[in-house]
Amino acid sequence: MKLQLEKFGKTLISRELGSEALKAFQPTLSELSKDEEVEIDFSGVLTLSPSWADEFLSPLLNQLEGKLVLLASDNLSVHATLKILQEVNKRPFNIKS
Amino acid sequence: MEEKLLTIGQAAEYLGISLNTLRRWDESGKLVAIKKDSGTHRYYREQDLEIFASDLMKFASEWIEDDAPFPGTFYCATSSIFNARLTKMEYALMQKPGFEKLYSLITLITGEIGDNSFAHNLGKWPDTAGIFFGYDLDKRIVVLADRGLGILETLRRVRPGLPSHVAAVEVAFTEFISGRAPEKRGNGLKLVREVVTDQPFDLFYTSGDAEVRMKGSNKIFSVTRGQRTLRGCLAKIEF
Repeated sequence: MKLQLEKFGKTLISRELGSEALKAFQPTLSELSKDEEVEIDFSGVLTLSPSWADEFLSPLLNQLEGKLVLLASDNLSVHATLKILQEVNKRPFNIKS
Repeated sequence: MEEKLLTIGQAAEYLGISLNTLRRWDESGKLVAIKKDSGTHRYYREQDLEIFASDLMKFASEWIEDDAPFPGTFYCATSSIFNARLTKMEYALMQKPGFEKLYSLITLITGEIGDNSFAHNLGKWPDTAGIFFGYDLDKRIVVLADRGLGILETLRRVRPGLPSHVAAVEVAFTEFISGRAPEKRGNGLKLVREVVTDQPFDLFYTSGDAEVRMKGSNKIFSVTRGQRTLRGCLAKIEF
């Protein structure tokens, strides 16, 4: 399945809202078939911060591992945030260009 | 044509402060009112109020040092108000020539510093909850401040041995640790440091007597001890 991240907002900054977004996404996640990938599309997102993403993408990475696929983005804040989250989590994201 | 003057009530509304504060500022000389024909009523030129409200660092420093009042337009009582104002700034930045791509990094570092204030002081604000958030895109400056616990007190919960404000700010900007550990990891200020190092942005950040000054083309991150000890945190971003 593909998730348009902008459905959670275009300016994704606070930890609090990142955590809320994950809770809102959990029911959809539980409906996934066993080997189904989750593609995250950043288009439309203006700013993504590590606080928001650490609440949303880090738990998804732990849960889905290689089945979490991030679609490449040319947004500078997305780049910077993914770079630091990989350092924090000590594992790379599966980024599809 | 005679310039239109605002009454003290209109000026109070314009700045988002009380009539009494305006009267006190007039008496102390901080913001002097105009009195027509030597009367007692106070009036203000809109242009003067605009200039007065533009000194963001002065308002933010005086607020965290002395709890001095400042124009209400810069006050974000809650995280959602901060987020709404941040989105407004982001939109204005996107329209600014030369910032079509950089806008997202300026929004990111502003958002991280502001969100940090709320996340680490939730339910623990010593007095006034919320933050100062002011920006002037023509002058290319963003100022954020809070009257919260500050970095040292926040981090001592997880690192009781931290000896000073300087050591605490150093840890906050360089290590993956959080005052809200173990349930949350702090990584915002680390990214702020990386972004400021790589991009044409300058940063001044202070908490307690610790100061970070990253300026110019050869920016090296270092924390030094300043002359003043401030409560909470104060940050100035220039771009």
